[in-house]
Amino acid sequence: MTPQDRKDLFKRGAIWAFILVELAFFSIVGDAISVSDKAFMNVDNMLLLLKQSAPIGIIALGMTIIMINGNIDLSVGATFALAAIVLLDSMTWPFMQSLGNWAIPLAWVFALLTGVALGAINGLIVWKTGVDAFIVTLASMLGFRGLVFMYNGEQPTSHLNWTLVDFAEAQFLGLHTATWFLLGTVLILWLVMTKTVHGRNAYAIGNNREAAVNAGIRVGPHFLLNFMLIGFLAALSAVVFYSESGSVNPNDGMLYELWAITAVVLGGTKLAGGYGSIISTLGGVIAIQLLRKGLGHIGADTQTVNLVIGLILIAVLILDRQLNRKGQEELKI
Amino acid sequence: MAELKKTEIGTFLAKQGILIAFAAFMIGFALANQRFIELDNVFGVIRSSAILGVMALGVTFVVIGGNLDLSVGSMMSFSTIVVLDLHDKLGPGLAILAMFGLTLALGAFIGFLVGYLKLNSLIVTLGMLSAIHGLTLTWSGGKNMDIANKSGTWFAVFGQERIMGIPVPILIFALLAVVLSLLLSKTPFGRKVYAVGGNGQAATFSGIPRARVVFMTYLVSAFCVATAGLLQASRSMGSQNTVGQGMELEVLAAVILGGASLMGGAGTVFKTVIGVLILGFIQNGLLLVGLDFYVQYIVTWIIIILAVWLDVAAKRGRLWSPIA
Amino acid sequence: MKMTRKLALACTTAVLGSAAAAETMTIGITQNNVGVDSYQTTYEKAFIAAAEADPNVEVVVLDAGGDVARQIAQMEDLIQQAVDAIIIWPTNGEAVIPAVRKAHQADIPVVVTNSNIAEQGFDFIASFSGPDNITQGSRSAEIMCDKFKDMGIADEARVVQISGQPGYTTAIERAKGFEDRLPEVCPNVTLVETQPGDWNREKSQQVMEAFLVKYDDIDGVYAGDDNMGVGALNAAKAAGREGIIFVGATNFSVGYEAMAEGDYWGSIYQSPVDDAEAALQTAIDVLNGEDVPFLNYFDTPKITQDNMDQFSKPVF
Repeated sequence: MTPQDRKDLFKRGAIWAFILVELAFFSIVGDAISVSDKAFMNVDNMLLLLKQSAPIGIIALGMTIIMINGNIDLSVGATFALAAIVLLDSMTWPFMQSLGNWAIPLAWVFALLTGVALGAINGLIVWKTGVDAFIVTLASMLGFRGLVFMYNGEQPTSHLNWTLVDFAEAQFLGLHTATWFLLGTVLILWLVMTKTVHGRNAYAIGNNREAAVNAGIRVGPHFLLNFMLIGFLAALSAVVFYSESGSVNPNDGMLYELWAITAVVLGGTKLAGGYGSIISTLGGVIAIQLLRKGLGHIGADTQTVNLVIGLILIAVLILDRQLNRKGQEELKI
Repeated sequence: MAELKKTEIGTFLAKQGILIAFAAFMIGFALANQRFIELDNVFGVIRSSAILGVMALGVTFVVIGGNLDLSVGSMMSFSTIVVLDLHDKLGPGLAILAMFGLTLALGAFIGFLVGYLKLNSLIVTLGMLSAIHGLTLTWSGGKNMDIANKSGTWFAVFGQERIMGIPVPILIFALLAVVLSLLLSKTPFGRKVYAVGGNGQAATFSGIPRARVVFMTYLVSAFCVATAGLLQASRSMGSQNTVGQGMELEVLAAVILGGASLMGGAGTVFKTVIGVLILGFIQNGLLLVGLDFYVQYIVTWIIIILAVWLDVAAKRGRLWSPIA
Repeated sequence: MKMTRKLALACTTAVLGSAAAAETMTIGITQNNVGVDSYQTTYEKAFIAAAEADPNVEVVVLDAGGDVARQIAQMEDLIQQAVDAIIIWPTNGEAVIPAVRKAHQADIPVVVTNSNIAEQGFDFIASFSGPDNITQGSRSAEIMCDKFKDMGIADEARVVQISGQPGYTTAIERAKGFEDRLPEVCPNVTLVETQPGDWNREKSQQVMEAFLVKYDDIDGVYAGDDNMGVGALNAAKAAGREGIIFVGATNFSVGYEAMAEGDYWGSIYQSPVDDAEAALQTAIDVLNGEDVPFLNYFDTPKITQDNMDQFSKPVF
């Protein structure tokens, strides 16, 4: 094992070590001061943790690939909201109502297509104009949110379908529906990134775009595909979450892009591109959700939660820098 | 030859495109609604853009230096709450001084992390967005802050008064824009900011202290945020803890619209001012012709993409990207 | 298995009744967005204080930060921790219904506080404790109409409305109460336009600025709470527009002060301390097996410049 390998292993392990520290901390402190009789570390609670990680988690997994490319997507929160609106609203369309419960899978398809379409818009603009993804998606974050408001003004869009809620709340082999979607996404994306040409290309482009072009990789279509993928995943996240809640406010999903990026960075993915792992992002997502859950468990108030989450993010960056002395590349956008 | 000429046209468009777009825009709306260019309306638009504008001036420095600042909205809430709280305890003069001191300290902290520790600015300022919000809530105990005696203080002068018929926020915005424009274009510090942002590595080799320059850009940004907080506090004499929430992205949109490159090294204060004004007048113009507020989001989306596209297209001398 | 537990629980409640009160009860609360305005912050403090004053009650206090997903997660956490009762201040009156049903299925009584959930969820809650927002809306309409009659402009006045956060039951109910009552008492007053101010003073100030640009003639402004009302007042002052009658709801201290200065006409007096204490008491009563009205309102009287000396200045 070379020193580089060891360092890599250490870095990949870092997020899971952090999760263990969190678990230990909240269990011990929780025992001392929480009013709940139940232990923090119990199986049901950990299963819930996975389920609650799903909405941000599914988006963050897609964000990992985008960031390995050296791009970023700030519009996922708005895509999430628009897909949710399509999901709930489409079930009230006359022809859909005549379909009975068959309307449900169809509504999912509509929502997912919405996500893919919005992603394709971003991807095409990035590809064809050569404007940086940060700017393209910052602008479309505004534009997509405008579309959300255009749909139903400032009113919420609601449709409560109990069949759908029952499906979303179901547990299969102990895991919630949302967890299955999260884990399924992890598995598929992990396979894509480690076993396929597309995955290898993603790393190659992020490492050195010039070299990738010279090696004959078609960068433009590759970007387009990845933006469609993250659009799809943002919509999938909406499908999973709103199946269980039945009402979406036009402001829902705001700041989700920032939480997703946070999770990806916690997982060790480089903003400059070329390095990152799906499994570590899952760790990042779990770490954040655990932090929220744990702080609630020990009774921390709102201001402490905000302070702690912000400072931990910075602390992780400092730690990451210590581990990786080479000096982090600046975000070149 | 033809290629060269195209490039020349392109360069011209890149340099003046944003101004041309702005002019076309103003003429269009003025034709649609007379009221759009009445002095009262114009003043109204600039006055309500002033707070965003002042923040955008500072972020321009950070962006030209090759970094980002997502914490300005959260920091503006902090400044506003602090100055309102201290106003009743220390009096307006000391309160303003103390607030500037504290806000600059936050800016220095971010500058230290990004400049000296070389941490990624996106994540640092994202973390600070959340942390500063926590700090604000701790300071205020989560309560709204209001000045108790609103008529017995000169504090309202910054946000509500007029001098020679011009609202004070506009004067402050203009004054700050002129001073910062000079700082950026006429001083050694300004040149160093461009150098560091344009090519950080080369700047270091040529002996420019990258860390210190980046540190300073965040101080400039914090100073602008403090000024914005002062305007905000003085304008409403009371505030919620979330007053600046979400402004960071609007500010960034204005800066980008003004043509500052996120690669660093490009952009001017003047163009940022134009970017701010375009956003302000779009909002007002669409309202006057009777469109809903969200149309503004969609229009802004399209305008930003077109503006930046034009800019990069001019620089590379061809419209479509060479990406295969 | 589940049946037995349900049955056992029913027996316990029926037989033991008030004996259960001697035991410590754990009550969990998930609030909407603490720290976003003074009302919610004061509510939280009052709630914790009231719980500490009662030796038989322990509380788990959570805050959703305005995010529906986080609130649903907190509901699940509270159910998982097997608290005795849950109090919820909904971020969205419809989106939380499935989560409330989950608590109901786990035999944990749910009390909704401050802002009700939508009717589809009524089967799953034990009680709603809070203000009667429809009545509040109609009272605001009456306050405004009475003032217009005094001024002699009840036949021509034009009113704009700045409502609370869309989708939020309190906002919907107050707007409905106002819109229904106004034509009954003042049939010739026109409600020109309604825009949401999201319970936010800044947003409301911007909305009012837009109204002032659009309409040269505005006689009255109804805001869904005083926080927004004062934002609108600031906009009118900055534009130099005088003589507009401002009426709000949930009297904040800034609103009270503006009334004292004669800038702001009236509001509805609603104390977050009463609100918090009523919610906790309702939950305790439910756990003790006492009869609790399904809609458990506390009184929220009218306050105007004329009678404000009968009220102490709000603490928030």
